[in-house]
Amino acid sequence: MAILPTKNPILSAQNLCVESVGAKESFPVLTDLNFSLEPGKILGLVGESGAGKSMIGRTISQYLPKGFAVTKGTLAFDGEDLVSMLPERRRNLLGRDIAFIPQEPLSGLNPVLTVGQQIKEHLLRIGLASGENWRERALKEFESVHLPHGAALLEKYPHQLSGGMCQRILIAMAFASRPRLLIADEPTTALDVTIQARIVKLIAEMQKRDGTAVIFITHDLRLASQISDEIMVLYAGRPAERGPAKQLFSSPAHPYTRCLQLANPTITGPRRGLFILPERMPGLRVLKELKGCRFASRCPNAIEACTRAEPPLADIGPNHIAACIRTEKTPDIVPPPLAPGREIASARIHLNGEKLTKAYTTAWSPFAKRSSFKAVNSVDFSLGEGEFVGIVGESGSGKSSLARLVVGLDTPTDGRITLAGRDITANGNADRAYRREYIQMVFQDPQSALNPRRRIGSIVTQANEASGLHNSTRERMDRAAELLKEIGLPPDAAMRFPSQLSGGQKQRVNIARALCTLPRILVADEIVSGLDVSVQAQLLDLLLKLRDEHGFSMLFISHDLSVVRYLCDRVMVMYRGEVVESGRTETVFADPKHAYTRSLLAAVPPDDVNAEWSPVLAEAGYQVE
Amino acid sequence: MQQHAKGRPLPLWLKSGRVQTGLVIIFILVVCAIFAPYLAPNDPNEQNLLSILTPPVWADGGDAMFPLGTDSLGRCVLSRLIFGARVALTVAFTASIGAMIVGAFFAHVAGYFGGWVDWMIGRIVEIWLSFPPVILSLILMVGLGTGLRNVVLAIILVDWTRFCRVLRSEVIVLRRRDYVSAAQLIGFSHWRTITREILPGTLPLLITLMSLEMGVAIIVEAILSFVGMSVGSETAAWGQMIADARQNIYEAPFNLIAPIFAIFFAVFGFNILGDGLRRTLDTRLTQTERT
Amino acid sequence: MRMFATIAKLLVKRVLTAIPILLLVSALLFCILRILPVDPAAMSLPPNATVQEVEAMRTEMGLNLPLYQQYGIWLNKLFHGDIGRSIHFRQDVTSLIGSTLPATIELAVIAMMVATVFGLAGGLFLFYVRGTRAEAVMDFVSILLLSLPEFLWSLFLLLIFGVFFEVLPFTGRLSPGFERPLVTGFLLFDSLITGNIPTLLNALQHMILPCLALGIALSPSLMRVLRSSLLDAYQDDYIQQARLRGLSEKRILIRHGLKNAILPTLSLMGVQFGFLFGGTLLVEIIYSYPGMGNLMVDAIRNADLPIIQGAGLTYCVAVLVISIVVDSLYLILNPKLRVR
Repeated sequence: MAILPTKNPILSAQNLCVESVGAKESFPVLTDLNFSLEPGKILGLVGESGAGKSMIGRTISQYLPKGFAVTKGTLAFDGEDLVSMLPERRRNLLGRDIAFIPQEPLSGLNPVLTVGQQIKEHLLRIGLASGENWRERALKEFESVHLPHGAALLEKYPHQLSGGMCQRILIAMAFASRPRLLIADEPTTALDVTIQARIVKLIAEMQKRDGTAVIFITHDLRLASQISDEIMVLYAGRPAERGPAKQLFSSPAHPYTRCLQLANPTITGPRRGLFILPERMPGLRVLKELKGCRFASRCPNAIEACTRAEPPLADIGPNHIAACIRTEKTPDIVPPPLAPGREIASARIHLNGEKLTKAYTTAWSPFAKRSSFKAVNSVDFSLGEGEFVGIVGESGSGKSSLARLVVGLDTPTDGRITLAGRDITANGNADRAYRREYIQMVFQDPQSALNPRRRIGSIVTQANEASGLHNSTRERMDRAAELLKEIGLPPDAAMRFPSQLSGGQKQRVNIARALCTLPRILVADEIVSGLDVSVQAQLLDLLLKLRDEHGFSMLFISHDLSVVRYLCDRVMVMYRGEVVESGRTETVFADPKHAYTRSLLAAVPPDDVNAEWSPVLAEAGYQVE
Repeated sequence: MQQHAKGRPLPLWLKSGRVQTGLVIIFILVVCAIFAPYLAPNDPNEQNLLSILTPPVWADGGDAMFPLGTDSLGRCVLSRLIFGARVALTVAFTASIGAMIVGAFFAHVAGYFGGWVDWMIGRIVEIWLSFPPVILSLILMVGLGTGLRNVVLAIILVDWTRFCRVLRSEVIVLRRRDYVSAAQLIGFSHWRTITREILPGTLPLLITLMSLEMGVAIIVEAILSFVGMSVGSETAAWGQMIADARQNIYEAPFNLIAPIFAIFFAVFGFNILGDGLRRTLDTRLTQTERT
Repeated sequence: MRMFATIAKLLVKRVLTAIPILLLVSALLFCILRILPVDPAAMSLPPNATVQEVEAMRTEMGLNLPLYQQYGIWLNKLFHGDIGRSIHFRQDVTSLIGSTLPATIELAVIAMMVATVFGLAGGLFLFYVRGTRAEAVMDFVSILLLSLPEFLWSLFLLLIFGVFFEVLPFTGRLSPGFERPLVTGFLLFDSLITGNIPTLLNALQHMILPCLALGIALSPSLMRVLRSSLLDAYQDDYIQQARLRGLSEKRILIRHGLKNAILPTLSLMGVQFGFLFGGTLLVEIIYSYPGMGNLMVDAIRNADLPIIQGAGLTYCVAVLVISIVVDSLYLILNPKLRVR
């Protein structure tokens, strides 16, 4: 164990275990947690969903979900054990010495109180203001997080502000007391990429100002390596590797860290293949029975010895530990070669949009005047046969509205769409029937896209039901089996309900439904966002494989630039309803012409940990907040 | 993977103690209603003017012929209670099914199509809601005239809005789900989308509301017959028994207690069934329960 | 100040939308009662009147005109405060309603207060005991209570406190022998300003049972909504965030939880209080309370159309007023509707 006696750590965990305690049996959720955090340092906690990273923040506050409890070890804040501490004492520390920044800034503030009322409550409680001088103090705190017009802000309600502004307010509140420890739990996941960059920089700036120690929880290894001093990678509730950020990122010792890194597409440099981690993290029940390494079942380097005993967290360098018995083999893990560059055989244009415009109006009422705004404004685009075209942009840029126009869920207010030579702008019944043969859509959120009351087999063959063809149970079952095989699900999945599948599996079903009638064009709206990196890689791989088999083309909408770079032949950048730049993916990414594209690209944390990340471009003039 | 019907465990909703309690109560009532002529010790309308206002059998002066005593005309209270279940349950089942069909139809149309259709239906519901239900049903009974069929009709006309209001907001939630869009893209007609994609989602709420509505219908019928605006006096009804017993409240308080308890028992059965169904069929319904 | 301007604007809009509703309601009332098989002309004449006399009366009353014209005439009279004359009581309907409405309003308002107190207290208690055995018990009890409508509660309370224990009066508004001051028609208010304490106390005693019956019958649904709204609010991030800022649980409940949870509770109250106003009808009958409900039922038994129309319309106006009051409260408490 490599916990060096350092100058007094602000937070230290020793053999910490958290279990979910059931009536009959209990399952470990966090195991063997050892770390110490010095004042002024940033510890990045990285892991996929289910790794237990959020549980650490909850353990520190001791507001654990019902049925969870610390069963072993200690967690000391400045030498005092937080677990055994009197609740009243702990509550005193919260907000004063220990501050939190939430994941969802918009719901982190009370909707029925003004920003001023909430910050006043906080300032009065921590004794930073008394009586009426809270206003002055609040404005000072707003200034330090670069919030302009502070006085006007105090009168606002959260729903009148953007997510980025709410997060700034929450950061101002968190740092108001000059806390000694800050826990930021995925503070930027809900925000757009350019805002994410600003918020992360702001946290780092404030942290430096006050010498605060920070636990930065994120699923993004690249982001963590940029802002942290030290990183701990969690896998299934246990640390897999811990070490200095730069060192851990540039030469990961644990195979999981390496795989995670390679599963994420790059944003600069040559394109490379993605490492596909098979299956998924073992569940709590499996883990409890497991003898050997919890990563062994998915590890490319696993040998028989790995399944015999849980590998200890062993020193592999200064301040660097990893739970693997074959760390020397980790660098041997390499990504598969990139699929050979496909030449788009013909330049035949399938789908063409000219000056497409969609204005949305408010709900119908005979009394109120209906106001409207242009979600899509005079957009030109085309999609060739077999081509993957990416549409990138931040929330509100109109990319989803464009998708709805293309598939026919909405009718454009202006412009023209032609599909294989036929004008389908009017979107009448005949147009719909015609379009149906060609275009299908894969929806963003599988939770909402799959009817919870239908079985998977019925969902994927739903198209038969509508066309009336091949509608006998036998035929549908056969087709369902084919489709499930193509998307890599076991045949027995046909009889299950969506709630019995994992997020990644649901998204596969979502794709299979669109593929059922073998359309020529797929429109995919953010289909990998919100999924773990390893699941994302599996899905991207699946899409490429399916294209090789069926040769469809795709309009791929995403906010994630590196995913678009990996997958798409061409890219369109949208901003406030308009396309500001488009072209071949490599060209646009290597040499962006438009200021907005440049600011988008600069906001992505770089692949090279030593490269300087300067996300906020002064020139842009594209104020997103 | 088909499970065999024999080994299949009880569905979740049937395992709930509340649902079981409700079903047992309703079963008892249904048995009473169907087999009333065999279960009742006397003819409910037979007047025994020699033994009026006899107390129940366990009290002093009780008569074993009339286990729960007699009313002011010497009619057997127990027999009238048992026969009263017929009116109550007939109204409960038919009125709630009717109100459900009307309400669910408008709710699905309004929520699915939106726009001016939704606006119109919304306004109609608003007009309806500005009548207190008791007042509206009384006025309707004045217009329609008394009789069992008109009671049912009046309750349907009053209570369809209960279904419409709650179901409409549920339909709007489901309407925004991507699977509804997906069904449209695949080529489902509006009718098919509503029946195959939306209706299965609203069904749990619909069933729950139905169960609660049956309780409401029993109360409304009792109120109407209490003020003499329901079935004619030749048919025994619980509300009527209350109205009769109120005249002799000091001499025979038990005559009042018996029908009160009968109404309470029936309404409780439907309410506990509804609550159990709500809990087990859909946990998300805590959102809609309040509307 | 801008806040009040927005609220005022929204309220004016709300009142304006109530007008077409009221018009449609009146049309509905008119139509329902015109399909009635009784002939108002024949009813207002002595039984031995000849066919010619009835026909003359029909013409005089405008019953031979087309329905929409009849409605127009009726509506026009309505605007001038003339709802017609009662056939049975041989009195102006306006004055009949004017003399009974205050009693009903008094009953309804106090019952609403009872319901609010019981509902909010019960809801908070249900929330407070969440996750314990007491919650399961209370939850069951609340379903039991939910199965007792005001109609049964009235009889039940009357039996217990009026008949068995004989501690409270249960007929009318006052015991015989008490002087009845008449200023506004609101008995409690009148006796208070005339300083007639014995009458005030006696009137209060008479109100206890009917108000309790109405209030208790309504409170379980309020309890349950407040409880589930609080549970919903506590799922939200801002509560967790307030905890992480170290606020005390009491403060979180009052300032953060309750302030949000009261909104859905309030919107339910708007509907429920409308129902409650209708519920006074039965309670009045059971307690022989001389309000509009007794007037209405008498009118129904006598097929006295002008009263049925007038009283029916008055009930609707009352419901609309209640919903406007509750809506404005909702506006004041919910910034999302107030500011954009």
